[in-house]
Amino acid sequence: MITRRTLLQSGTAALVLASAGRALAQEPTGEPIFLGVSGPLTGPNAQYGAQWKQGFDLALDQINGSGGIKGRPLRYIFEDTQSDPKQTVAVAQKFIADKRIVAELGDFSSPASMAASPIYQRAGLLQFGLTNSHPDFTKTGDFIWSNSVSQAEEQPLNAAFAVKRLGFKRIAVLHLNTDWGRTSKDHFAAAAKELGAEIVATEGYLPEEKDFRSTLVRVRDANPNGLFLESYYADAALIARQARQTGLTVPIAAASSIYSPKFVELGGDAAEGVFTSSRFFPEDPRPEVQAFVSAFKSKYGKEPDAFNSYAYDTMILFGQVLREAPNLERKTIRDTLAKVKDVPSVVYGKATFDTQTRRVQGARSAELVVKGGRFTLWDGKATN
Amino acid sequence: MTSWFDHTINGLIIGNIYGLLAVGLALIFGVSRLINFAHGSVYVVGAYVGWVAVSVLQTPFPVTLVLVVALTAALGIVIERFGIRPLADAPRIAPLLATIGLSFVLDQTVQILFSPDPRSVPMQVPNWRIEIGGGSIGLLDLLIGGIGITAAASLFAFLKLTKWGWAVRATALDRDAARAMGVDVDKVNRIVFAIASALGGVGGVLVGMYYNVITPTMGFEATLKGIVAEVVGGVGNVPGAIVGSLLLGLVESYGVALLGTSYRNLFAFVLLIAILVLRPNGLFASHRQLPPEPMTGTFVAPSKPVRLPVPLVAAAAALAIALPFLTENGYLIQTLTNAWLYALLGLSLTLVAGTSGQVSLGHAALLAIGGYTSALLAFNLNWPVWLTLLIGGFAAAGIGTLLVSPAFRLRGHYVSIATLGIGEIVALVILNWESVTRGPIGVAGIPPLSLFGYDLYDTNAIYWFAFALMAALALLQVRLLGSHLGRTLRAVRDDDVAARSFGIGLKRYKGLAFAFGGFFAGISGAFTAHMYSFINHETFNTQISVLALTIAILGGMGNVGGAILGSVALIGLPEIFRVAAEYRILLYGIALLLLVRFRPQGLLGTV
Repeated sequence: MITRRTLLQSGTAALVLASAGRALAQEPTGEPIFLGVSGPLTGPNAQYGAQWKQGFDLALDQINGSGGIKGRPLRYIFEDTQSDPKQTVAVAQKFIADKRIVAELGDFSSPASMAASPIYQRAGLLQFGLTNSHPDFTKTGDFIWSNSVSQAEEQPLNAAFAVKRLGFKRIAVLHLNTDWGRTSKDHFAAAAKELGAEIVATEGYLPEEKDFRSTLVRVRDANPNGLFLESYYADAALIARQARQTGLTVPIAAASSIYSPKFVELGGDAAEGVFTSSRFFPEDPRPEVQAFVSAFKSKYGKEPDAFNSYAYDTMILFGQVLREAPNLERKTIRDTLAKVKDVPSVVYGKATFDTQTRRVQGARSAELVVKGGRFTLWDGKATN
Repeated sequence: MTSWFDHTINGLIIGNIYGLLAVGLALIFGVSRLINFAHGSVYVVGAYVGWVAVSVLQTPFPVTLVLVVALTAALGIVIERFGIRPLADAPRIAPLLATIGLSFVLDQTVQILFSPDPRSVPMQVPNWRIEIGGGSIGLLDLLIGGIGITAAASLFAFLKLTKWGWAVRATALDRDAARAMGVDVDKVNRIVFAIASALGGVGGVLVGMYYNVITPTMGFEATLKGIVAEVVGGVGNVPGAIVGSLLLGLVESYGVALLGTSYRNLFAFVLLIAILVLRPNGLFASHRQLPPEPMTGTFVAPSKPVRLPVPLVAAAAALAIALPFLTENGYLIQTLTNAWLYALLGLSLTLVAGTSGQVSLGHAALLAIGGYTSALLAFNLNWPVWLTLLIGGFAAAGIGTLLVSPAFRLRGHYVSIATLGIGEIVALVILNWESVTRGPIGVAGIPPLSLFGYDLYDTNAIYWFAFALMAALALLQVRLLGSHLGRTLRAVRDDDVAARSFGIGLKRYKGLAFAFGGFFAGISGAFTAHMYSFINHETFNTQISVLALTIAILGGMGNVGGAILGSVALIGLPEIFRVAAEYRILLYGIALLLLVRFRPQGLLGTV
């Protein structure tokens, strides 16, 4: 009889054959271990789910190519939720009932992720947020963890970069009017003020917004000497283009979330000279970063971006947690996650969790500027 | 004051862009009396055809435009032929649902073919820029404006001066009379859809070049703004659509200048409501009176409803109650819990839209009002959840009815557009009223559902609670519809002039319908908030309003059983299609189209 399970197994077999053809090390052949992924593959955030998948798949190639988890391959089951809360709660029920699943990753947006948290918490299945920087995300309970950089940690680094090293004294902040953008802006503004800069304008915009000309004229009238963006790459590119069109010529710096080759593609000439302090940068000489970048390029034929790196990091982390876990009970996985130390990480260098906040400490950052159509390490010269 | 000059220029630039969409929407509305929700999707298709032409085929600009026009015009003809025409004799609400289904199918097809990543469309127009005020405008800005105005002018001439133009206008006024006079109505519709879609497609590629970014999901927002611009200019009025678009652009730009970016859309939708209330025919109409809608009495056409035998309903209810004992499948129970909550929303809308004929497109706002009221009372004041649920229901009833009351004098599609605007306004107020709602940060840690002092954590307990609420309110609604109130509401729907001449106070009865509907939806929203434990302004979005209407139409307008069945179908289908991964929303759209095609009166028929 053909059940979903046998189909999955034959799919696994086909994968094994395919990767054997690529001259990788022998794939482990035991019963697979599964992680559940709840994320958007359709709907307005679908691009981020697609980027997760690329990062996950690359990490799995490496984990399973080097013996898997104690001879068993690691796999994930990706359920599309469109980042819609009514679908994430249903998927959460599906995952907690599926005994093969040892931990859950995602979802993408805060309303979608946090609606499912009570279900994971009560069932005792680890919910692990890759991109959930909402300050309350991990507060639902002790099974809710995240390796997303806390904005309380990242934004002071951004503020120091902008104020101390780029010389921004009168700063205009544009932010996505979402929980992430709003939290980021608040932390950035507080840190910048502490460093003696003045916030002369703050403007929150909706994620669907495409026209920023009026906003930028308003910003221009506040007479800033630097523009800071709490944006994703697509909106940051639009803002950079339109800033030049509205006669706003001050330097622009942005949060690490704009780090993507797409930013340069979409921003064109206007992307030149935009600063960011990124947690992840492909030319970072650390071996784990170089291994990731070259493997990513050879698998997908393009450079990885920030969301790829979060997904990759997360899967590598779980590879280590599962290898170290004495057994595969869901609670053991959670306890092991709390204990792992110094996991090699593309984003953090070494990742270790704070068991109080259930988040990772110690964001790194590389100071970058777009030059000649690509992100390069900044040479330390302020522009004004 | 150079900045005001700059704000004016910026308003005109964005108005230009809205104009490209509004003209097409106005043309289609003028002829088919149809809000074409698929128009934004045609715009997306145009943008991607343009991208293929420029980036893959490397065509020069004029060839790019010709390709886009040809393919999107053809797409328009296909939409008309297979999506709209088969529904010519169906209730006039059915084609609306068809366009929603089509937009799912088109957007998803584009996304599957081109990946969800944003793409850049290389500019094919020389990047000459003219310094103006403190900023500059480019050749493309002028080109977009030129194409918009030329299109509007030539369409105006076509409509006024040519024989086919007369035919189009005659069809718009009275379809049957036009047919009786020998007008080939189908051909008229085909021409209109081809022209409007070609314009939408050109809009897509030009806007793509302008912003240098296209995404498969950019259509919905574009449709929304296009509709607003169209209404401001006067629905169906092609030159008016251009002026309306420019005015909308200006109002948004000045709004940003005065209060900041986060108020931008608030200005747009307040303008919409103001126009609808003060000059419902748009700025250029000579009369304040609405034209007699040719579809009075046919908008929600009664059909022969399916009579559900009482034993069958009782058996289904018994099965629903017993289900948690029969299965250990929490996923199924959760999905059905969602279905019961959306059934409450469906009941609300089927009462408001189906029974009293006020087709609302802003129902998510009622969920939001109920959800926030209950969540904040329970969270801030520690009130018991059973009480805050009730208060959430009453708040949605009261505030919702008050907000929508200016729209009571409107009819037909105007109600839909007004409620769409009101729904957006509520969402934007929630986003901006931070001292109460916490804005985008949202409300986290909302207390769980509880009853008689016991917290309900268990999936099955939540399921029974949701089912009991839904069943009780459904029975209440059945009682209501069987009373004189139900008859009166149906009379208002079928012929408001006749109803009024019998002494029925239209506003009072419409208000009653919204109050009951608001209560149902408010309870559903409040329940959802406590179940999720976290809500913010994105939790109850416009997509949910569209889903609510889809549930009501699919089940059969005004049909209580239909709303429940529609909800189970529409919440269940995307879950059933889960095996299809990325293709599931595409399948969902196709299923929706087939259902409308073969059951235009809804699964259980209109009551």
